[in-house]
Amino acid sequence: MEDLVLELKKEIIEALNLEDVTPEDIDADAPLFGSGLGLDSIDALELIVLIEKKYGIKLKDPSKSKEVFMSVNIMARFIAENRTK
Amino acid sequence: MVYRIADNIISPLGETTEQNYLAVKDGRSALCHYNHQWDIPEPFTASLFTDAQNEALAVEGLTRFESLAFTSAKKAIEASKINVSGANVVFILSTTKGNIELIFSDREDTAIYPGTAARHIAERLGIKTKPITVCNACISGVSALVLALRLLEAGHYDYAVVCGADVQNKFTVSGFQSLKAISENECRPFDIERMGLNLGEAAATLVLSRQPVDSWAIERGAVRNDAFHISSPSKNGDGARMALNAIVRDTDKERLAFINAHGTATMFNDQMESVAITGAGLGEIPVNAYKGYFGHTLGAAGVLETVLSMAAADDHTILATRGFEERGVSGKVQISAQNSTTDKCSFVKMISGFGGCNGAILVSRKPEQKAEEKTVRNFETKHRVQISPSAILVDGQEIEVGGERSALPLATEGTQEVEVRGKSLLTAIYKRYVDDYPKFYKMDPLSRLGLVATELLLQAEGKRRDVPSEDRAVILFNRSSSIQADQKYLDSIADPEDYFPSPSVFVYTLPNIVTGEIAMRNHYHGETSFYIIDEKNDDLMNQTLSASFADIKTKSMIGGWIDYQDDSHFEADIYIVELTNH
Repeated sequence: MEDLVLELKKEIIEALNLEDVTPEDIDADAPLFGSGLGLDSIDALELIVLIEKKYGIKLKDPSKSKEVFMSVNIMARFIAENRTK
Repeated sequence: MVYRIADNIISPLGETTEQNYLAVKDGRSALCHYNHQWDIPEPFTASLFTDAQNEALAVEGLTRFESLAFTSAKKAIEASKINVSGANVVFILSTTKGNIELIFSDREDTAIYPGTAARHIAERLGIKTKPITVCNACISGVSALVLALRLLEAGHYDYAVVCGADVQNKFTVSGFQSLKAISENECRPFDIERMGLNLGEAAATLVLSRQPVDSWAIERGAVRNDAFHISSPSKNGDGARMALNAIVRDTDKERLAFINAHGTATMFNDQMESVAITGAGLGEIPVNAYKGYFGHTLGAAGVLETVLSMAAADDHTILATRGFEERGVSGKVQISAQNSTTDKCSFVKMISGFGGCNGAILVSRKPEQKAEEKTVRNFETKHRVQISPSAILVDGQEIEVGGERSALPLATEGTQEVEVRGKSLLTAIYKRYVDDYPKFYKMDPLSRLGLVATELLLQAEGKRRDVPSEDRAVILFNRSSSIQADQKYLDSIADPEDYFPSPSVFVYTLPNIVTGEIAMRNHYHGETSFYIIDEKNDDLMNQTLSASFADIKTKSMIGGWIDYQDDSHFEADIYIVELTNH
């Protein structure tokens, strides 16, 4: 799981163009949105694309994505349980 | 004030204004459900021309988009009986993506540029002056009418042919799907059950005259920015309310028959419009929206919905909002669910779009006609920034890049070799002179160029304002539109095996996003507009900027040229201009 958390942090930094942010800067338990990362609604949509592209999980209901993107740890757990690739 | 002398609408519902109006009055819609259209995996509902209609509209030597716009403009010009070959006629094209479907066959060709399409159409129409393309996202149609109003009032031309048009394809549909903005079913503007928008294909044209005639007149127009987000409207409807306030101000609200809203049927747009309308004190006026008949026709919408509203008011009718049943917005607006009658002769058309822009116009039949004098507005250039792959000049002086962060001015002696080039040049400027706005890294190259150029410009001005303002406009021009973002977005959809449309890239496929980024960064709620011309033309740009000071609030502008063709060909030449005779 730790590997997945680190991988996910790197994926998020790349997908959302978080230049100047390192994986260590992201607290895996902290809320992804509304925290210091300054993510917005387009970032949330881009994360939906990310988990479909990299892990083969289709998130149809946008309100479900709110729960999944609570923190990197919650996201990692969700991916581990649902991934198809 | 400018006067309507002829108009036209071409949509899947008909090829004249009358055919379209009668179809809508009858409650007919062109929306259809599509499955696997253009190999798009997700189904959608849209208003598209049939194969037979496309064939009938095709004009030899023109693309599908150009044929549609040309045919609409030609019909309106014929009805107007004016001679369009003189220097007193301007052609204004309103479109969001123009010929974008050509990108699937040849991504390097300049035929994709909206200015190329405008030139082809103007040539076929026999219009000799240089056309201007308005590319201001979804508000383009209203922006184009505002531009025509100003250019005519300033006396630069006697007539304007304003044509709004867009066609749909895999590019636009997948993009709006990636933003989760599209409803699979028919859209329901302002309804509690609304699930998103439908896209539509159409063209509409208005031929306008400076000389008073007994007809409809566009009395006033305004564009304002939310300065909030590049794709989500402001929650309290700031920009839309300001645009409404700018046009209704001292007007007797009793004159207004209705407000024709944008009403896309997305959750956020309709909610925002409802609070903007009530916030502007217009909550008692009936509101309708036409997206349930035509879908969202993008660059055509502002012109089409204005023309249709004129036809309806001529027939003493307030048209129904197809798809609406129960109000699902917090602003207590009076949505017209059924056709109703009116004897009033004025209406408001409002519209909002990506880049945070909002437009509104006040339109009236037979308004009080008084002879208007041309107002010449002079401005002076205060500061200027030029950035190209080979040089960065602030007020004519070359500046350093690379090295530690510092502020302007940096007096350098003699000409200095710029060591950092191309794409990395912009990052180097950002790191040296800005460095506190990481959103820079999320932007497409055009917005990055606009952001760093503006930062240098404002440092040269030396009075950065961190409070919201409404008196500074951002009005920019280019040639290559959003070509870099277009090509990058195409990469995300071109391969069916690797089809993942990117929402964060798609939003930048509108060149006016750069004006929205500048407005957001600087809390500018004033006008933001983006125009495309075939080549850099200082006279045409100055004429437009000068005429744009007609806005009641605008006292200064960030204006000029901002083009990013590729990493070796880009140019910012922007300046701060201030009104001198106000």
